[in-house]
Amino acid sequence: MSWKEVCGQGDVAENTLAKFDVDGIDIIIANYGGGFRAIPPICPHMEEPLEESGAIGARCILTCTKHLWAWDLKTLDMVPPAEKPLKTYELKQENGKIFVFIEHELTYDFDEDDDDMDDDFFSKS
Amino acid sequence: MQINIQSKAGECEFTCGEDETLLHAGLRQGLSLPYECATGTCGSCRARLMDGNVALVWNDAPALAKLKREKGDILLCQARPRSDCTVRVPANVLSAAEGSHLPEHRKGTIANVQRLTRDVIHFDVHLSSPITFKAGQFVIVESKDVPGRRAYSIVNYQPDAETIALVIKRKPGGGFGNWLFDTNVEGQELDVFGPLGGATFHAEENKDIICIAGGSGIAGMMSILECATSQDYFRNHKGYVFFGVRSAADAFYVNELARFVEASNGGLEVTIAFSDEDASFVQNGTFRGVNLVGGFVHEVAEKAMEDRYSDMISYIAGPAPMVDGAIRMLVTRGGQTPDRIRFDKFS
Repeated sequence: MSWKEVCGQGDVAENTLAKFDVDGIDIIIANYGGGFRAIPPICPHMEEPLEESGAIGARCILTCTKHLWAWDLKTLDMVPPAEKPLKTYELKQENGKIFVFIEHELTYDFDEDDDDMDDDFFSKS
Repeated sequence: MQINIQSKAGECEFTCGEDETLLHAGLRQGLSLPYECATGTCGSCRARLMDGNVALVWNDAPALAKLKREKGDILLCQARPRSDCTVRVPANVLSAAEGSHLPEHRKGTIANVQRLTRDVIHFDVHLSSPITFKAGQFVIVESKDVPGRRAYSIVNYQPDAETIALVIKRKPGGGFGNWLFDTNVEGQELDVFGPLGGATFHAEENKDIICIAGGSGIAGMMSILECATSQDYFRNHKGYVFFGVRSAADAFYVNELARFVEASNGGLEVTIAFSDEDASFVQNGTFRGVNLVGGFVHEVAEKAMEDRYSDMISYIAGPAPMVDGAIRMLVTRGGQTPDRIRFDKFS
């Protein structure tokens, strides 16, 4: 539970994504022009690897090109047809470097491993 | 049998016979069940069986690998009921889809089989009752002689069509394609279920359109072009069509595309892209108003569309890498947003 250095600001070009291993946790840094976001490495829809399927286009929108789920990286609003919000790690920039605050690895509810949590089958949006 | 659906929008019910899939029965009865390919590959119709029993149509459906089957997860498109069932669907399922023509099973008879290239075949299907569909929709066909069901986009367009045209590319190991190519299929009967799919054209949207297709993915684009042309749509809107094939010998529908260009009063631009390296002989050529260019279709489109994007609707169909490349290009280079990009993921 602490701030971890991920990369330099220049390591992720504008409107691109890059995946980093931060102490064994995969994190994607997205540079949407107006800033950066730190997100889990998979799409909350069908577990596509966003490093490959994600594309940042107009109006800071991140689109998973597999099924077109999308989010506004500036506001984190969902863009239809997305039905689940994007989870994000807290991020800060210091001295040209990007740091994220990792309390625990962020994941999405695909598996419903705990049967008591079965209502997670429906998204919590 | 009685099927109870629990969804984010509440509960609804429909009936399903033991020979029909839950997806087909539900769609036929007006439920807005989620689906894309409807043939077991995409996983979009994932659901969880809470009560009851089902049998699978296709035990090796690729999307089954994505499911938690031990939790009771099923594909609606592959499940036939063996008892009354209660099924949870992770989507908003509404009953009574208004204003659209519900899909239905029809009997079809194959006619007018034409081999267009070494591996592409075109044929008509005369239907037992007329079908009304939106340009860009597809049907699922099944023959009692070939195991499995296949989704194919309708090539033609007309309201209350008694005949639909389909185009199919033969693929290695493709049972249906082999059957079409190697058998005299004239007069053979098919089960035709449809119309399905949301990658549709609507003239009232009043926007320019771009179509990017690879191989037999051009099918739905032909329907869209026929629909648009019949309404003189390209008099006031731009249309850009990019059609990718391997070589000149693999091109088809060229004359039909040329006729759409001629009828468009200048609004429609069609480019055929040849991906084989030896296609350089056609660089920057034209044939009856159709541009002929060497290169992968989404890369050709990217170059041709630079600075020409507008408030437009995009239609995409073809092999998965081409679809992915085209969507990426439209998002990153064209500034297009997901609500303006339409495709049905068959694979």
